[in-house]
Amino acid sequence: MTANKIEISHLSVNYTERGRQFNALHDVSFGVGTGEFVSVIGASGCGKSTLLSVLEGLYQAAEGSVTINGTPLHGTGRERGVVFQHYSLFPWMTTRSNIAFGIKQARHELSRRERYQIADEFLGKVGLEGFGKKYPSQLSGGMQQRAAIARALAMNTDILLMDEPFSAIDAKNRVILQELLLSLWEGDSPEHRKTVVFVTHDIDEAILLSDKIVVLTAHPGTVNEIVRVPFDRPRNRAELIKTDEYGKFRNRLLSLLYQDVANRIGGEEVVI
Amino acid sequence: MTLKNRLLRVTHLLFAILLLVQLLPDRSSNDVHTGALIAFAVGLEILTLAGSFLTKKKESLSLLLDIVGFIFAILTVWSLATTKFDLLNPLLFPAPGKVFAQFAEDREKIFINIRSSLGITVKGFVLASAVAVPLGLFLGWNARLGGAATYISKFFSSIPPIVYIPYGIALLPTFRSVSVFVIFLATFWPVFAGTMSGVMHVDQRIIDSAKVLNVPKPEMLFSVILPASLPQIFLGCNQGLSVSFILLTSAEMIGARDGMGYYVKYYSDFGDYTRTITGLLVIGIVVIAVTFLFNQLQKRLLKWKH
Ligand SMILES: Nc1ncnc2c1ncn2[C@@H]1O[C@H](COP(=O)(O)OP(=O)(O)OP(=O)(O)O)[C@@H](O)[C@H]1O
Ligand SMILES: [Mg+2]
Repeated sequence: MTANKIEISHLSVNYTERGRQFNALHDVSFGVGTGEFVSVIGASGCGKSTLLSVLEGLYQAAEGSVTINGTPLHGTGRERGVVFQHYSLFPWMTTRSNIAFGIKQARHELSRRERYQIADEFLGKVGLEGFGKKYPSQLSGGMQQRAAIARALAMNTDILLMDEPFSAIDAKNRVILQELLLSLWEGDSPEHRKTVVFVTHDIDEAILLSDKIVVLTAHPGTVNEIVRVPFDRPRNRAELIKTDEYGKFRNRLLSLLYQDVANRIGGEEVVI
Repeated sequence: MTLKNRLLRVTHLLFAILLLVQLLPDRSSNDVHTGALIAFAVGLEILTLAGSFLTKKKESLSLLLDIVGFIFAILTVWSLATTKFDLLNPLLFPAPGKVFAQFAEDREKIFINIRSSLGITVKGFVLASAVAVPLGLFLGWNARLGGAATYISKFFSSIPPIVYIPYGIALLPTFRSVSVFVIFLATFWPVFAGTMSGVMHVDQRIIDSAKVLNVPKPEMLFSVILPASLPQIFLGCNQGLSVSFILLTSAEMIGARDGMGYYVKYYSDFGDYTRTITGLLVIGIVVIAVTFLFNQLQKRLLKWKH
């Protein structure tokens, strides 16, 4: 058995709201192998962001454990790069300073000039060339998110935790960013692959990018099923989408997602 | 902007009217210094014309012209009411030219007084900010102490700093040090409270992004928390600055031997209302100039915020 990079076992997370305990995640277990790309999908409010905030080290689980490289997770860590669901740039720094600041925290060995060089390079990669001197408030929401993605990618961490990073981004740029993410994930060689946990609500995106998809069920968030993506890489999106296998696989995921909704409609509590 | 746009303005008409009014015969028997008034008006007009050519933005040009227009209109009315028709008590209401002539005559004395007042203000203000901001950062960051410190600063900032003057006089050797002390207190509490509230209300999302970047503690405070709280810190500074001027001039009127407040008080005690009015106008101009400079600094440091 190969050791997993990230091991989540029997994780339960509670929120306290006005004195009442609310069980957001219940008994969630799965592993993420070294160099594996894992997507997490599930209905809105099922606890995807909650799960990531535990992996980020920002929120403490009530029960269960998370280990990274075999050691129990304790707070935030330099080996993890994060893209939040919300915009997370520092408003008083220009776009390129934001990225350079991130690089500085993750890669101490680089000089100031090198940091800014890498920042500019990544600004170009996410299509923000020429916007480096702008402040976040001068950019659109999608552009800010692209800058935040550039920051996380430029930090070149072993692990990437991304929470619906492309959901606010237009279709054309989304494809560009998906390809960029895949090429950075692959790195120079299979041994150097990054480990990615990627939250999305876009089924096609999950299939195109991942090795493995974790489907969550809501109220409380539990793992419904873990599905391995059966398609070889590199995946040609235009070709793949036309195949029968793809259609079947997609339908299977959809039914796993809707099964959850259907159960709830069938029950007393109607949520939609 | 076209040349017509820049030059054909009501303000210049008002300037012409002001000059024409000066052609009317003087009714007042006092010395009215029409020459000083004309010199001032012409100087202001020249500056305004220069400004009209240099200003790039339409709105700022209009603003400049409107302000100058008001000044010309006020001078016209003032001139008519005093020099030309002698409607007001000349002792209490000197002619405008007389005030300008007085300023020219007293300019050295006035500059010395301005320097004294500004010296005290800057000392007290800078000292207070230099202590309040780091202390506020530290206490605000420390959640438990921050809660208590907020109430304590609320208590102290509710005491009008002017009531510290008598105690300050007993405590400190010179009146200058008392003034610095009072301005220190007047600035310290609002800046301290502003800094703490800024620190305690930093957006959780900003703190979370800094945390996942593993920003080390000292850098967290100075590269993240400080800039994030800067808008609130400036709010406190602005409050401190405006209270400082009120306090300083009041204090100078109570017991100082120099300063602008002293100048006004001293001459009004002698019934020299020309100098009193000169002093009032100078104080207004100095306060506006300092506030303007401070706002420029604030704009520069907060240019990321729209
Ligand atoms: N800070 C919090 N305090 C209390 N309840 C919370 C908090 N954050 C999230 N929740 C609740 O926990 C549940 C899961 O939230 P979470 O944000 O993890 O969902 P999500 O799957 O990321 O949803 P989305 O797809 O809309 O982003 C929701 O019911 C939400 O109301
Ligand atoms: Mg979410």
